[in-house]
Amino acid sequence: MTKAEFESSVREYQGMVYSIACSFFHNATIAEDVAQEVFLRLYEGHRNVEIGAHCVAWLRRSTVHRCIDTVRRASHGNEISMDPLPDIPVDAPETDPLLQEHVRRLVASLPEKTRAVMVLRFGEDLDADEIGRTLQMPVSTVWSHLQRGTAMIREKSARYMKEKENEPMRTRSS
Amino acid sequence: MNQCERDLHEALRRREPPVGFEAKVLARTTAPHAPGTFSWRWLAVAASVLVIGGTVVIQEQRRAESEKAKEQLMIAFRITGSKVRDIQARLDSIQKRVVYPQLNP
Repeated sequence: MTKAEFESSVREYQGMVYSIACSFFHNATIAEDVAQEVFLRLYEGHRNVEIGAHCVAWLRRSTVHRCIDTVRRASHGNEISMDPLPDIPVDAPETDPLLQEHVRRLVASLPEKTRAVMVLRFGEDLDADEIGRTLQMPVSTVWSHLQRGTAMIREKSARYMKEKENEPMRTRSS
Repeated sequence: MNQCERDLHEALRRREPPVGFEAKVLARTTAPHAPGTFSWRWLAVAASVLVIGGTVVIQEQRRAESEKAKEQLMIAFRITGSKVRDIQARLDSIQKRVVYPQLNP
């Protein structure tokens, strides 16, 4: 990859790298820092990375590993806070923004490997084989992370919906 | 796809990076000493130069101190030698006067 190709890669894949980090942390500042670090690493080793599918796979792998490293470093020091993110999606279908915000928070609270699998599956639309290759883990492990993550999200979302339904009644009674 | 998976897809859909993200990345790649591109190699070289320089300075200081000590010792020997010669001369004159008074009327 030449320097010009690196620059066009930044333009083309900035959304992908930033989105993965954003879904991982639910914190725009940390996501931006991580995304910048990933592109700087690509710049340092850009001669060894081929443009196209190889570059996309490299960026996904580096972003997820960088995110996991950041979480592990933070767990030894300061905790990472979760910020409400400004909602600027690429295409915005009509959905409940509060529920989306809640789901994003739930994803960001999952254990880091499960979180990485969930982000790649539902954010990047990768199948289990591609996730396994990206995270260098067996497909069976990917499936077990997916099942565990989905079950946790489903359970917590159901609890959230129930609380939301009961909220007006509680307000009326008080 | 069930409702939970649909919610996950919606919640984790792609987001635009903040304005100026690309410019920030490109600026960091052209910065001469960008924090992200800091090289540990240069730190190691600087540390080595510091250690070697420090060793040379310390050795030079020790050599100068030993030269000074040697010089002071030589001065002390010279002073002691002249004192000894002086005392010897006095003893000789006393001896001549006491032991051989007839020779020194």
